[in-house]
Amino acid sequence: MRLLRLLLTPAIRMPSSLRLLAPILALFLCAVAASANSPWDQPASALADQIASILGPGQARLTLRNLSSVSPDDLAAVRRILEQDLRTHGITPSGDEAANQLRVTLSENSRQRLWVAEIVEGNETRVAMIALDRPASSAVQAASGITLHKQFLFTATQPVLAALEVPDGLIVLQPEQIVLYTRAPAGFTPLTVFPIRQKRPLARDPRGLLVSTANGEAFEAHLPGVACEGINAAPGAAGQWTVHCHDSDDPWPIAAPNLMQLGSAPAPALKAFYNAGRDHYTGIVAPSLGVDLPAFYTAAWFARAQTPALLVNSLDGKLQLAGNATLTPIGGARDWGSDFASLQSACGNGTQIVASSSGAAAQDSLRAYEIPALEAIPISPPLAMDGSVTALWTASGGRSLFATIRTEPPAGQPVLYEVDRVSANCN
Amino acid sequence: MSRRTAISCLLLAILLAGLAAPAAARTRPRYGGTLRIETVGDPWQLPSGIARRLVLDGLTTLDAAGNVRPALATDWQSENAGHRWIFRLRPGVRFHDGSPLTTIAVVASLNASCPSDCPWTSLRASGAAVVFSSDAPMPNLPALLAGDEFLIALTLSSEGKTPTAATGTGPFQVTGFSNGVLSLSANDTCWQGRPFVDTLEIRTRRALSDQRLDLVAGRADVIEVPAEDARQARQQHLLLLASPPVQLLALEIADSGPLANPNLRAAIALAVDRSALANVIFQKEGQVAASLLPQSLSGYAFLFAPERDLARAQQLRGGITPPSLPFRVEGDGALQLAGQRIALNLREAGFPTQLNSAASHPDLVLRILPIEFPAPAATLEQLFRRNDHPDPVEDNPAAEYKAERGFLDRKTVVPLLHLPRVYALSPRVRDLALHADGSLDLANASLEASP
Repeated sequence: MRLLRLLLTPAIRMPSSLRLLAPILALFLCAVAASANSPWDQPASALADQIASILGPGQARLTLRNLSSVSPDDLAAVRRILEQDLRTHGITPSGDEAANQLRVTLSENSRQRLWVAEIVEGNETRVAMIALDRPASSAVQAASGITLHKQFLFTATQPVLAALEVPDGLIVLQPEQIVLYTRAPAGFTPLTVFPIRQKRPLARDPRGLLVSTANGEAFEAHLPGVACEGINAAPGAAGQWTVHCHDSDDPWPIAAPNLMQLGSAPAPALKAFYNAGRDHYTGIVAPSLGVDLPAFYTAAWFARAQTPALLVNSLDGKLQLAGNATLTPIGGARDWGSDFASLQSACGNGTQIVASSSGAAAQDSLRAYEIPALEAIPISPPLAMDGSVTALWTASGGRSLFATIRTEPPAGQPVLYEVDRVSANCN
Repeated sequence: MSRRTAISCLLLAILLAGLAAPAAARTRPRYGGTLRIETVGDPWQLPSGIARRLVLDGLTTLDAAGNVRPALATDWQSENAGHRWIFRLRPGVRFHDGSPLTTIAVVASLNASCPSDCPWTSLRASGAAVVFSSDAPMPNLPALLAGDEFLIALTLSSEGKTPTAATGTGPFQVTGFSNGVLSLSANDTCWQGRPFVDTLEIRTRRALSDQRLDLVAGRADVIEVPAEDARQARQQHLLLLASPPVQLLALEIADSGPLANPNLRAAIALAVDRSALANVIFQKEGQVAASLLPQSLSGYAFLFAPERDLARAQQLRGGITPPSLPFRVEGDGALQLAGQRIALNLREAGFPTQLNSAASHPDLVLRILPIEFPAPAATLEQLFRRNDHPDPVEDNPAAEYKAERGFLDRKTVVPLLHLPRVYALSPRVRDLALHADGSLDLANASLEASP
């Protein structure tokens, strides 16, 4: 590139002979620089090697077809690179007059891309083939209005039930293990795995919960029939955590004091008993709210006239608000899915409920709501997620949420669980 | 108030009440209920019998990408260049009768399911591990052990008796069989988690026309739809669940007797009009195939040309007119029609045939072969083994292509169509998905609450 810069400096400093060659050289170097970064270089070179070992030097009629997800723009680049590589082996791609045919097909299967060359010499056809990895599909962003934003954190091959920010990274709860992720330049990477070693069978619709102490130096994890405690033996040093798990039917802390503020006060501590055999809360909570709660799947604190109220979705899908010793049905939840969580922002009345969508489609969305009376009112457009939301929980402090998204892979690809942070901006 | 006005007021009141009532959100999967399935076949038949994977588990399983995942075995390793494999069992797993899953039970099950011609030559229990050995390398053994053929069943109970019903470790356990209905109940202690529904009722050997009537009348929740009927079912607005191509319609040709000459077999392969089969008989629901594996699985299926060339077929026959060839069709409905169409094609090429479903030693057999694995090498190896060519296949596309080309060049199996598996569902079925082999993932399905 230093030579390129030299060539692009004002011609007045150059000798006249170099001045004439400069544009040609610059174009050549640009082309070289562009092609040097192409992802197709290596596979094209490998395929050309195989073709050359079968065909040897000479002329061949090259045809290229695309049965893969390679874009038409890339197809031209592949052809150009392949022709260059073939020429370096003494094979000249030519017109119809060549006796030998070279049919190259860019194909793919459920796991990988395949580049296949059929080398036709007279009545004989021989095949060369190379395999290359398929790239992961790219994420899509969407938001506007009182705007929800998402930030990709990491992906895992096993479901992520909950995650908790700690000073040295993220504690991640999965059905069979707790994983400490550390921050790295490229994102979060797993550092230490703590197996849970459950004695009881796993649930098919696994749920879990993580809560931390105020200083972030310890946490509690709850899974159906199991509780774990984690302690950081050397705060500030990554990976100094010890985790101890044991059978437990104790109630789960569905709202811990440090989780979020409701108005000027922290949300009340509340524990709820969990039916490990049926994957839902029984409706029995401690301390009592002065009203009998139905069995429910999800609960979230909600500030109502500076008074905390608990929003629950019962097993029949109805949304109800428990507060002031009464249970009030809430409408407007027709579009809601099973997951919702509280979010504190500087927008609106300061506390929103973010709910997943009810669609059975592969792509879920998240949307913020306020509940000024008996109806949930949407106050943001849907934020499209790249799959279905399987878990949604409020981050410590309540200013953002974490969402686990089960991505629907292309046919034949394994399912991945993506964890995103979701936060709100006011317009 | 007139009667009409009263009815109008009542309807309006109901409508307003509906609008005023809080709308229900979509809930998580609900536990409970009985899911009713109907099948035309035997639920225990090999391969792909519907009850097999509900009751039994394998040592391994395959994900949608064909990657081998732990099941009853938690990990495995090969030694001696794939000639020996050691599988360690998952601790704490119990059969439905409460007896523990042991290496001895696994060895007994595999010996019972594969008395001969297995991918291994010897099998033994060694502590908490099962050890497989073979004179030839077994590169695909972990994938093969995920197949229906090698699911683990209890052969002897803790009292030393043979179980009266299939007993496994799967999400459902057998509770009874009467009047053609197999009853299964949820296994509360299943190592993969309890299924959502309480019971499954599988009505077996149910005619397809009766299945359709039962679904429409609300007497069934899941029924089978032959691929050729999928278009009509869609037009009738049935709720369908269709897999990618996971079945191969193939013509098998005996390589002994009148068709021992490979040129005659090649002539038969060239004589069949696959497009007519796909477009007319299978109503464009199948993909014309000349390869064992579909393009989506192998990526190289386009290298096998499915062209019909009658002139070349007659040329290869070289004036030889074989005697009338016994031709067996294994299946009803569209398969019988396909058999008749193929018989016509063969007659045009100079091969007289005699359709006979009871022929014990036929020269030609038309049947559907399952593409059981989403892993190309394991699928090929299994298909080869079923056709008495137990050659291991390396797990890379070039080796898979070479092995498939070599096998098909023998012209003992002629691929014709790749077909999907299709089911119709009642609206109360939720979250029902298909496994990679097109079978129903009933353990993760649930039912809507009754209104």
